[in-house]
Amino acid sequence: MRHALVLALLFVFSASCFAADGPRVQFDTSHIGPRQMEEVTGRNIPRDWGRAWQTLAIAFAQNRPDLLGHYFTGFAQQKLTAGIAAQEKSGVRTRYVDHGHKLEAFFYSPDGGALELHDTADLEIQVLDGNNLVHSERVTLRYIGLMTPAADHWEVRVLESVPSF
Amino acid sequence: MKLAVLLVLATIALIILGFAFPVHQASTPGIVSGEALPGVGASTNTPEAAVRSLLGDVQARDWNRAYSVLANNNSVPKEAFMRDVGGNYGSLRTFSSLEGSRTRVLNQNGDQALVRADMHWSTAVGPIYDVKQLKVVQQGGNWKVEWPLEKQPTVPPQVVPVNYLRWDVISRGPEDDWGTQNVDSPRVRIVSMNAVQHGSTLVIVGEVVNEDTVPAFVDINAILIGKNDQNLDQESSFDKIQHTLLPKQVTPYRIDFPGFNLSQVKNVRMDAKAMLVPASADPVIAVLDQHEQTSVLGRKVLSGNLLNESGRIVNIAQVLATYYDSNGKVIWVSDGYVDRALLPQTPEPFAVDMPDSTVGKVQSYRVTVNHYMRQQS
Amino acid sequence: MRRVLPAACLTICLMAALALAAQELQLPATVNAGSGFAIATSGSGSATFYLVGPSYTAKRQVQLGQEIQVRPPEVRSAGRYLAILRSGGASRSGSFYVSAAKPASLSFLAHPSRIPVGQRGGVVGVAFLFDNWHNLVRRPEDVEFRLSTKNAPAAAQSVRTRDGAAWILMNSGSKAGNAQFVAALDGIEEARVIQQVASDPCHLQIRAERSPRGILVQTAPVRDCSGNPVSDGTVVTFTANSPAGLSTVDVPVKKDTAQVELKIPGPATISVASGVVMGNEVKVGGQQ
Repeated sequence: MRHALVLALLFVFSASCFAADGPRVQFDTSHIGPRQMEEVTGRNIPRDWGRAWQTLAIAFAQNRPDLLGHYFTGFAQQKLTAGIAAQEKSGVRTRYVDHGHKLEAFFYSPDGGALELHDTADLEIQVLDGNNLVHSERVTLRYIGLMTPAADHWEVRVLESVPSF
Repeated sequence: MKLAVLLVLATIALIILGFAFPVHQASTPGIVSGEALPGVGASTNTPEAAVRSLLGDVQARDWNRAYSVLANNNSVPKEAFMRDVGGNYGSLRTFSSLEGSRTRVLNQNGDQALVRADMHWSTAVGPIYDVKQLKVVQQGGNWKVEWPLEKQPTVPPQVVPVNYLRWDVISRGPEDDWGTQNVDSPRVRIVSMNAVQHGSTLVIVGEVVNEDTVPAFVDINAILIGKNDQNLDQESSFDKIQHTLLPKQVTPYRIDFPGFNLSQVKNVRMDAKAMLVPASADPVIAVLDQHEQTSVLGRKVLSGNLLNESGRIVNIAQVLATYYDSNGKVIWVSDGYVDRALLPQTPEPFAVDMPDSTVGKVQSYRVTVNHYMRQQS
Repeated sequence: MRRVLPAACLTICLMAALALAAQELQLPATVNAGSGFAIATSGSGSATFYLVGPSYTAKRQVQLGQEIQVRPPEVRSAGRYLAILRSGGASRSGSFYVSAAKPASLSFLAHPSRIPVGQRGGVVGVAFLFDNWHNLVRRPEDVEFRLSTKNAPAAAQSVRTRDGAAWILMNSGSKAGNAQFVAALDGIEEARVIQQVASDPCHLQIRAERSPRGILVQTAPVRDCSGNPVSDGTVVTFTANSPAGLSTVDVPVKKDTAQVELKIPGPATISVASGVVMGNEVKVGGQQ
């Protein structure tokens, strides 16, 4: 009986961790083209974008490039993995505190295989050298993202910060 | 956070309930239908008892005892009797067991009698019913069964050239660059859909065509949408469809929703899923002499013969019958498995149910055949 | 006292302003990927320089008053970089952007892999431009899309990229066969193969005649409305209606035709269909 209770608690706790909300993402598809967004895709994109950012923040905070594989792929995954490796080598870490995103879809390929996004992200960025805070800022940054569909979710294939859209 | 706490509390409550009110194991059911068959070596002092004794031995797969109950075992070799009753060539019968039966003496005259045996076979794909009228004769003080052996025609030795098309699939690998072309899934289209009420079951029937030039493995799903736009239920066609479709091939499908009524449903959302699979155009199976008739059980059936035109044995065949009304609309789809293997060039009879609700409405029908072969080359 | 106080306040404010100004490093707004540059510094003594980018982080000791060299390999990934200089507890920082260099590769998505002939806008091409370091080239560039088949002139069109992407819809040809679909820009080329296949069978015709074993039925060469032979393996359904009942058989096309011998002794009406296309009917008398 005791074992069953403990197992049940563990299961529910881990399930609730995975189910925890990511950063807030406002999604706008009013300027999308040439393909119109499907209802289900319109729900999944902001969800997966939010989870990707959540994963990015944790991966960089803990130097865990293995976490990137589920929501990042291709060039984005390669670059972020290299970024974490460079962090580990230098001892300098970047911590992201995510205050939300305004995401706009502007290119959805006719076959539905690629989606380009403009993201305006409200971020707090901290740079730590060991445990010393070297730099901290709260900024609004603009990102170009390219997402492609995987088996049951969308992955970020390109993620680049840009000065303007 | 609130959700997580709620989930924890709900789980704890359910565990407590589970320990407080355990579900007692239901007793294992006996014979699903029909009367219980006697044990091995039962009495054969009446015609019915002799038939029941034979069937009991068959159920127990005691072929020696079963064979000893035959009156004509000098003209029916034991191996032929075993093949006839127990199946061969990897047919569906070889994976079946006699679950139960009902017997009835049709007439009795001195030392001869006619006994009808309605047999219920339990198979991997569901129940199969078989009816035999068995002549029973008295020999000495016992009654014995004259087994009506169905002579299996022998296929004359010959070379059957097979040069039908075969498709293999090479897909892109996990290491391939993004943008490397892959082979697309086949294009299939649902050409018709009809919702019918069959007793307490809502049934969706229709047809789907493979519009592509490559074989497709097809499945059809349906979601019932209620009056308040809520999802009521979701089901798939399961085995009531010919899953592997060659280019331009058409298959019927049937999706059953037990316990649902048309009046509850506002809309049905259909989804055809198709996968690219390796396939062969062989074997070609002809469906001959299809006609409606009434079975010995008094039911309306569509029957005919299947002819395997290839040189290889088709172990298990499933017949799908599509019934159309005078407007060409699909009004029903029924299916049935043939429990004998289809030998090359050898006709094999089949019969599938025509439900009472379709009698008088069926203007035309079409039969297609699903097949399973143990050794695919 | 009255004169000293305002002066003191002014001095403090000026020093604070100077100090604030001294917090910002003088950095270019944007550099091209893989292009090094130098950051001027003032003062004296040693300091710690941090460079934090999308895929690069470095920390090194530098001398104030000398230029800090940012090396080309350190700024290969496009994105926002932070440059931080720390000395004696005080910090100066700034940010700059790295943008993509000139295009070096194309990611080309072409769909579908198979298409029936004569489909308007059925072929989709999408190209994304990247530089040598896999950065998205956002500057508008002209990508040429070309769809060509053997024995037919190529269809080509140039499309300007927007934020690194260009797309096009093209018509499939009228002749079945493999088509070469290419996206090209300044010597960079990516090619894909689109298989153009025959459309639905058109004018399905059969002839049927008595044979020793029954009725031999054969189709005329099965072609689509553009005259392309349908793919081998396309299923043709033969149906025979006779006094004994209905007989059907699904037969795959082999080398443009499908044929079957139906074991029907009596008279019969034979018809044919493929997919949703119906053919003609032929009546055959009984065996003599």
